[in-house]
Amino acid sequence: MASPANLLRLCLRAPSRRLPTARAAVAAQKTVFLRPLSTTPVRWAEEEEERREDDDPSNQVFADPGEFLRSFLRDESITQEERQLAQSMLGDWSKVPKDTQKSLQNLVAEINNEAAPLRRVRVPKKDSFWNEDNADTDLITDENGEDDFEEDDMLAMGHAKLEEHREFREYARIAVWEMPLLSKLAKPFQPPVGDEVLRFRYTTYMGEFHPADRKVVVEFSPNDLADLTEAQRLKLMKLAGPRYNPEKGIIKMSCERFEHQAQNKRYLGDLIAKMIAAAKDPTDMFEDIPLDTRHHKFKTVIKFPKEWYLTEERRQQLEAQRKQAYLLDEQKRQSGTLVNGVEAIQEGLRARVNRIGEPVPVRRPLAPPRPPLRR
Amino acid sequence: MSASKCLRCLVRPSPTTLPVSVPQHVPKNIAPFSTTGAKAGQNPKPAPSVPKNPNALQPYRSGKKMTLSKFKKNKVIDRGKAPLPGERKAWRKRISLSNDNALPVPWLTQMRPGDMADSGNVAKVFSLPAGLQDQLRACEAFKPTQSWNMFRTPSVLVRNETVDVMGRMQQAAGENKTARLVLTGDKFTGKSLMLLQAMAHAYLNEWIVIHVPDAQELTTASTEYAPIPGTDPVQYMQPNYVLKLIQNFRKANEAVLSKTYTATAHPELPQNITVNTPLLNLCQTAKEPEGAWVVFRALWNELMAKNVPRPPILFTLDGLAHIMKMSDYRSPSFELIHSHDLAFVRHFTELLAGNTSFPGGGAVIAATSRSNAPRVPSMELVLAQREAEQAPRGAAEVPQPDPFFRGYDKRVESVLRSVDVVRVNGASKPEARSLMEYWAASGLLRDTVDEKLVTEKWALGGNGVLGEMERAALMTMRI
Repeated sequence: MASPANLLRLCLRAPSRRLPTARAAVAAQKTVFLRPLSTTPVRWAEEEEERREDDDPSNQVFADPGEFLRSFLRDESITQEERQLAQSMLGDWSKVPKDTQKSLQNLVAEINNEAAPLRRVRVPKKDSFWNEDNADTDLITDENGEDDFEEDDMLAMGHAKLEEHREFREYARIAVWEMPLLSKLAKPFQPPVGDEVLRFRYTTYMGEFHPADRKVVVEFSPNDLADLTEAQRLKLMKLAGPRYNPEKGIIKMSCERFEHQAQNKRYLGDLIAKMIAAAKDPTDMFEDIPLDTRHHKFKTVIKFPKEWYLTEERRQQLEAQRKQAYLLDEQKRQSGTLVNGVEAIQEGLRARVNRIGEPVPVRRPLAPPRPPLRR
Repeated sequence: MSASKCLRCLVRPSPTTLPVSVPQHVPKNIAPFSTTGAKAGQNPKPAPSVPKNPNALQPYRSGKKMTLSKFKKNKVIDRGKAPLPGERKAWRKRISLSNDNALPVPWLTQMRPGDMADSGNVAKVFSLPAGLQDQLRACEAFKPTQSWNMFRTPSVLVRNETVDVMGRMQQAAGENKTARLVLTGDKFTGKSLMLLQAMAHAYLNEWIVIHVPDAQELTTASTEYAPIPGTDPVQYMQPNYVLKLIQNFRKANEAVLSKTYTATAHPELPQNITVNTPLLNLCQTAKEPEGAWVVFRALWNELMAKNVPRPPILFTLDGLAHIMKMSDYRSPSFELIHSHDLAFVRHFTELLAGNTSFPGGGAVIAATSRSNAPRVPSMELVLAQREAEQAPRGAAEVPQPDPFFRGYDKRVESVLRSVDVVRVNGASKPEARSLMEYWAASGLLRDTVDEKLVTEKWALGGNGVLGEMERAALMTMRI
């Protein structure tokens, strides 16, 4: 890109730099007002078009001026002067010789005939593939040289970078000018007091629509409900079922059934009130049902035992033990009661060798002297 | 075990090569056990490359070979005589109690009747006298998985738990009561050996001992069974098993049985047994599986007979979990039979539950197993509960049953509800040291048994689990 020839070319072209021209005008869109709900079937657009052409007098094609004037006179909305003028002109037209009128009518008919194919509705050919033989009339551009870069603009990446800068600056403006105003709205945190036992959690997506933003979660501990007895609390836990966490002792429920957050919260509040009322009901205290905790997996956090830490005290204790062990060994060594496996084996083998004794070579007894072969 | 023994034989020093074979021990500053790989002394130099002689004859040609003959000749490989049926199992299950190559331990003394109940004998090793060995062998107290075959004479270590169990037995016998104990503990801690010690103690003190060496033989449908007529709910007898048991029982308890006499006559037996016949004669009438159950019932009635002098009786069983579940036997309507409906098992469970007791006092001891044990949630729970209840107050929380678990068994709970649970833990360090000294003196541990070695093996054995210590010290070939 940075070759001198290219640079020269760009310099020469510089005077002709101008804003990118709109390559084609955007066709004005017709706004169609449709009923949101209707039992009438939708009519085709072409019929609509024809009907409008028929109605509209400006689009009507007349065979000659006389016909136009007559139709003009039929219109009742025109003024008196116009009517008089039109009548006088109609009188003039009737004075025109017949063959001139005739030739004029022929001319109009001829033009109509010539223009007919242009007005005809284009029907796609049956055999064509994706209608590709016909030129696309809906295209705004002619598609020729569309993607060619004419070197009169930044590249797309440059535009993106600029856009990024704009965004940064927008947020910087917000941070500087608008955020400080929020501190006026800040409320100091008030920790919940004794009778505020419910803890709600809401979700916001910063004004964006999200299917989860209606969800409300409530947590409370049955032990915080001061006006319940122990048995009633237990019943409340049993009523909560798998929503009760036995490790933390907390019941957690959520609702996203309704459209608005407030509705969901209302529902949860009512539900808790109902549960408490049911827990207080003494008719059946669920005493025969044990508290079910099968839904919860108890986690045991294994910690390094405190006794195992090598403290100074423990170090001394170990030292003392080792010293004692050493002394015990020494004592045994001196008294000769320390058992050594290797020595034991050697002694055992020695004892065995002694027991067996030295091998005694066995002598063959001397053969008796042979008698002489011959006497 | 046999393999390690053979290998040990291979590397045993012979008298002629003694100076060579005794190794020079490396200096002791090396860590006794470490997770880091050992470093070799020197990097071995690569062998100088010898240029290959292409004409050199290849010693062996691998790959495809041309077959010269048209058909392959069938090679007849002589594999020797195949072992007869049951021979392999007999070899696998054989029990050898002595090893002539092991050294005799000089300080070893023979066990006397009161030795194991004496707390002064804790951390001492005693050898079993020959007569006792025969008795224990007859009642199948020794197991092939225990390493008796390494040592010259079978010997046992007296531990704290031993003294505890023997003390309970003695006390129960003294008060004419039946001690009901269940031995539990981790794998390899010596529960079966504790049973053996209890039996040894009983034999030495002239008790009568009945021992079920493996409870799974009773409930895995491996021995014959038949319903006992006239029982409701139906109980089942196992005549073949009972016959074997009576024969073992007779062999093991010969001396005591010959001094114990019948209280009633037993005309229902094939041989007429009158009053004041030694129980030994009663036992001898069991010769065929057909009449075995009748003999057993007669024997049991005699043993449980009241108002006649009876020696204390010890009834032991190994592998408790097997008799605490549904057995693999089927009733005539093809439903599984509960183990407690087997008549012989029921005798044991009734004793364990405390519903019946021995007239002359005694003990019922069951040992759980960790290696071959079906899971019995009820048993596990009740034993844990009993253990927690027996612990000093507030020391342990009594575990509660899971209310939503349906696998509990009421019958099992009722049996174990009131037993005493004895937990067999790892050995203490003095006990471990005493045992290791015995190993070393037998010539099986080639090391100086000092506090360092003992601590090392004790730690390697999971805080003194004796089986693991044995693995760490005895079964390794580090010489």
